[in-house]
Amino acid sequence: MKYLTNDIYRFSGRSRIALAIVSATVFAGFTWPFYVQSQSSAHFAQYFFWAAVPASIFLLIAQLSDSGLDAKSVALLGTLAALLAALRPLGAGAVGLEPMWFLLILAARVFGSAFGFLLGVLGMLASALLTGGFGPWLAYQLFAAGLVGLFAGSFPKRFKGRAEILLLVLIAILASLIFGLLMDLQFWPWALGGDTQLSYLPGAPILENLNRFITFHFLSSMAWDIPRAVLTSTLIVITAPAVLSALRRTKTKAAFLTPVEFSARLK
Amino acid sequence: MIKFSNVSLVYPTSTQTILEGLTFSIVEGEMVLVIGSTGTGKSSLLRLINGLVPHHTGGILAGDVTVDGISTQLVRPGELAHLIGIVGQNPSSGFVTDTVEEELVFSMESLNVAPDVMRKRVEEILDLLALAPLRNRAISTLSGGEQQRLAIGSALVMHPKILVLDEPTSALDPIAAEEVLSIIHRLVHDLSLTVVIAEHRLERVIGFADRIIHIAGDGQAQIDLPENILKNSVIAPPIVHLSRALKLDQLGLSVRDVRRMTEDVRRNGKENPQVLKDPTPTAILIKGASISYGSHLALKNVDALVMEGEIVALMGRNGAGKSSLLQSIVGVKELDRGEISIFAHPPMSLKGAVRRATVGYIPQEPSDLLYAQSVAQECAQADKDNGIASGSTYALLQGLVPSVSPATHPRDLSEGQRLALALAVVLSAQPRALILDEPTRGLDYQSKSLLIEILKGFAAQPGRAVVIATHDVELVAELADRVIFLSEGEIVADGPTIDILLASPAFAPQVAKVMAPRRWLTVNDVMRALDQETDSR
Repeated sequence: MKYLTNDIYRFSGRSRIALAIVSATVFAGFTWPFYVQSQSSAHFAQYFFWAAVPASIFLLIAQLSDSGLDAKSVALLGTLAALLAALRPLGAGAVGLEPMWFLLILAARVFGSAFGFLLGVLGMLASALLTGGFGPWLAYQLFAAGLVGLFAGSFPKRFKGRAEILLLVLIAILASLIFGLLMDLQFWPWALGGDTQLSYLPGAPILENLNRFITFHFLSSMAWDIPRAVLTSTLIVITAPAVLSALRRTKTKAAFLTPVEFSARLK
Repeated sequence: MIKFSNVSLVYPTSTQTILEGLTFSIVEGEMVLVIGSTGTGKSSLLRLINGLVPHHTGGILAGDVTVDGISTQLVRPGELAHLIGIVGQNPSSGFVTDTVEEELVFSMESLNVAPDVMRKRVEEILDLLALAPLRNRAISTLSGGEQQRLAIGSALVMHPKILVLDEPTSALDPIAAEEVLSIIHRLVHDLSLTVVIAEHRLERVIGFADRIIHIAGDGQAQIDLPENILKNSVIAPPIVHLSRALKLDQLGLSVRDVRRMTEDVRRNGKENPQVLKDPTPTAILIKGASISYGSHLALKNVDALVMEGEIVALMGRNGAGKSSLLQSIVGVKELDRGEISIFAHPPMSLKGAVRRATVGYIPQEPSDLLYAQSVAQECAQADKDNGIASGSTYALLQGLVPSVSPATHPRDLSEGQRLALALAVVLSAQPRALILDEPTRGLDYQSKSLLIEILKGFAAQPGRAVVIATHDVELVAELADRVIFLSEGEIVADGPTIDILLASPAFAPQVAKVMAPRRWLTVNDVMRALDQETDSR
């Protein structure tokens, strides 16, 4: 019965390498404000990463979907991504209240981290299509949502019952905060005009910029990440028992990864 | 066309062999019927043909299945899509688009058929299955029979050589079923289509089948001519039970054959005395009930009475207003005009425990009543709601179907088991009236006779009443005291079962057709008329 607790989809060796390379690119894309030297290279960095991040993410998805996703997993991925896309606008997006994260976390918990990564990316993409939320931030959002899925799916499966709900709430809080941090990093250089005390200063020493960023993040965090964490945790506490069992039943019923054998006669 | 050589099948999570050492071949243009009790592997056998088993379900397949010379081991099910059309048990769960025309085109688009060919084929199928007037309709507004025809149409549009159908008539009224089956029959004869069909209601399909595959519970299966299989099978239509009970030398499979053999029975049998029941108080009173959906009138000024101790069957075409009437009796649907009272209460006013103790309702889809994550939880909830000793509901369920495991999810049960669970939950409240909507969908003969027993036992207790909506004439013949016949929302006939069923040939049960003009509905009636005890079941 081991396959019942396994992830339904795993990264192959090549996918892991691709994921590592893309992660490095995106990491550089998130953190560029801290190490550009001057005003002019800041402009260059900004345009470079606008192009580089989406390109590498789409290459990664192409690589992932090429290896080992069967028809059933694709169908499941599509259905769940559509659900996420439909759930996200329900919260109107204000102050981080987007009721999609709980489902992403629960699905990643059941189907595994690799599946969670793909689901996060696709769900975010689909919801951007629905809400018209296209812009330079989209690629960063995709990757951050993917990371949330990857993170949520990577905890040991042995927790059950209340312990599992507690774990999921913890994941929800951490994921909300991480997502907020990443989004702030991406957003901060443009957010505040040129000359407030929290604004990004191109070319300033790392410590100076870090200091400004942390103050900025703390303020925005109060407004966005904490409501997001509260909403997601509440939804998880309320829905987890039913949703987890429904997802687990889907997993058993669809018989993912169940071996198919052919033989001349029965042993 | 289809060849099974020494096929055995084991599913991954069980150790039980579903099929064992099955060898047969089906030639082009043959219509083969698959019979067996619920859960014996009929659907598995059908899905082996196009490779869905084991490619999608996992499991070990020993031996080889070849279709038109292609082994299902070597190709994925998708690569057989142009060769095999498959229609599932519940057509509406297979639809992927919103309108009739789009649904027909969808599979051809997936197979990359040229646009002009598509256009021709759509027209051809619309004509063949008489779907032309419906071409722009939304699928959700179609009746059960129309949906079934559409499902068959969208399988046929790819010009498959093989059509596989899993219980195509279970949701249909007798006339719509007849229509669907005769279309299939015509396709077999005109186009030499090979058809494999699984069905519980043998009385409907037996006349069309060339051969039968009978799956016994233990993985064994045999394939033979219908006469030979039905000679010894427990699963048999009423007409075969009749031949057996009368000890005819030959098994007749059609009404015509058996009629020829039973001439002296009709001549010699005596008239059965009409059993007159003592008058009982009114249980349910319906006065001038009307319901409309938009401009469509679902019920028009319906007047009816149900007495205590009575089992009343509600019959009529798909969409005649049966479900609407039942729902308003139960009080889940409000009447536009008129009134209903159930044991002198208006049904809408009943709440909570009083409601559960007055009326029990089983909707068309019993799982609508089942919310818990397992059978045990469902039963425990019912115990708690009704304030009865814990374990009583489960004990009741065990009495109905002994084989249900308490850890199973209600939606993973078979149709019969799910109905039994819903019935146990509803009966645990000891309601005075029981309302059932279409309960025999997907039930095999065994579960059906169990249901008849339960309902008769229920109605025999003092102060009880049963109303049941059904298409199943054989069930009505065995069970009901009275039949109310609805058409277009109006009552067109209301009277004792025997009068109503004998009045129209389409709704007459098989035995009555054989024995006309004598007034016998069931095998038991015939044997009683001949002063013989029966051991037909």
